[in-house]
Amino acid sequence: MTHYAMVIDLNTCVGCNACMAACAMENQTPVWDKNKWRTYVHDKEIGLGSDVQRRFFPRLCNHCDNPPCMTVCPTGATRKKANGIVFVDQDLCMGCGACAMACPYHARVPVTRRDMREGREFYGSDYRRTSPSMDKCSFCDHLVEQGRKPACVETCVGYSRMFGDLDDPNDPVAQMVASGAARALMPHIGTRPNVYYIDDIRWRG
Amino acid sequence: MDVNMTYATQEMWTWWLAIYLYFGGLGAATLAVTFLTDMYLKPNRALVIWGAGAGVVLLALGSLMLFGHLLDKTAVLTVLNPMAMLNQSSAWIAWGTQFIIWMMVWGVLYALPYVRETEFPHRVPGIRDLIDKPFVIGTSKLVQRFHRSVGWLAVINGVGVAVYTGLLLQSFPAVALWHNPAVPLLFTVSAFSTAMAFLLVLMYTLLHDQADEHVRVLYERIDLVLIAAELVILFSLYQYLKNGSESAVRSLELLWNDYGWLIGFIGFGLILPFLLELKGVMRGWGSRVPILTAAVLVLAGGYLLRHYFMYAGVYAYPW
Ligand code: SF4
Ligand code: SF4
Repeated sequence: MTHYAMVIDLNTCVGCNACMAACAMENQTPVWDKNKWRTYVHDKEIGLGSDVQRRFFPRLCNHCDNPPCMTVCPTGATRKKANGIVFVDQDLCMGCGACAMACPYHARVPVTRRDMREGREFYGSDYRRTSPSMDKCSFCDHLVEQGRKPACVETCVGYSRMFGDLDDPNDPVAQMVASGAARALMPHIGTRPNVYYIDDIRWRG
Repeated sequence: MDVNMTYATQEMWTWWLAIYLYFGGLGAATLAVTFLTDMYLKPNRALVIWGAGAGVVLLALGSLMLFGHLLDKTAVLTVLNPMAMLNQSSAWIAWGTQFIIWMMVWGVLYALPYVRETEFPHRVPGIRDLIDKPFVIGTSKLVQRFHRSVGWLAVINGVGVAVYTGLLLQSFPAVALWHNPAVPLLFTVSAFSTAMAFLLVLMYTLLHDQADEHVRVLYERIDLVLIAAELVILFSLYQYLKNGSESAVRSLELLWNDYGWLIGFIGFGLILPFLLELKGVMRGWGSRVPILTAAVLVLAGGYLLRHYFMYAGVYAYPW
């Protein structure tokens, strides 16, 4: 089986936001609204006093193995593929927002009819969205099906984002996760995320 | 992980969802209490017509609040299908939608024989034509035969709606304020307390039947117990939040530093009506004004509870 996951190395993320731009163009997200990114890079100051560091923190849907967004979805629009990718069927979604309330990672954004009107103007005739719905990262499953990597991974200048198959023991991503160097966010909530973070400078030498 | 946490309150479900939860619980509990009163305390045509009418309207208005905010209104058809409960059995909105729809059906059916017996609807042109249709007459006779069964279906369904409003909030794991068993309990008790208050308002204003005195007294007593139960649940919730995760502590700070919650809801929405009703139950009041005041305060408090609960839900994000 295939079980997709992403590892993000916080030590090499330079905060260039190329991943945000690549994702937006690949997935035709509502770039006119600054709150509607599928992936977002937070710019943080970490630490106290003289020990303050600047850190960039990219986030996106974690494609949880136990996704609360899916269990609360009344229409069945949020589903999970056998390869671990959690997706939203935009035709089924009624946009109640329950999934956004359930997601502990702030990974979902609403795409409204107004966004669709803007989208047709901005992206032109090949705009693909057909109905309003909640929206989130899909690990670019349309690219993954073609054997490619998600747009954010392909574009990442610091090689900070890595994408791979947890079920393949030879995959570097699987090895990083198995080694314990890459860790998931907020494991206590029980969502079992598939996006992992490396925040230890020494790990990659 | 070596990052700072940030704390954020959601902006997705705000006052309009508070109204949905409020009207849903209040409407369903009003129907359930009305029918129980009619079945076991005193058959009461006027109370059923007003209680059922108001209950159905409250449920419809509450549902409209949710419907109005859907991104894609046509996709709502999925949850109008009863199979949604089985297909999406873990999703409380799927259950809640069905509960609310069926609650309105039982409400209308239970009241139908009473409506047909009443003179006024026969004088209103549109309604007269409707209730005199052979199909409606047949349905009314059938309901009369199985009045208790319909009543109990409504009562069970009503409890379902009231519990659902809290279960829905409980299903969001990242917010400690909502994700705990006190919430369905609190919302259910509050729904029935506000229903008592609503029916007391009806009985003290529109339905002045002296013979209903014992029903009113019973409602006051039950409401007193429910308010006391609400205070106990709130106290245990306070203890849970006080010693809980950061998200819980932040919610607690938001709630207990807000006069709307502290003075508005707990002071005027619970403690003051409790004292007014306690005096009424122990020694009685010379006029209906104090109990009417208590009932109106309980009703306002019921909304404030849901309003502040929605706004004080704090998420903790590791970035
Ligand atoms: S990160 Fe949020 S949206 Fe993504 S699968 Fe997990 S719960 Fe669902
Ligand atoms: S907004 Fe759409 S995907 Fe999210 S819970 Fe509602 S129906 Fe499901």
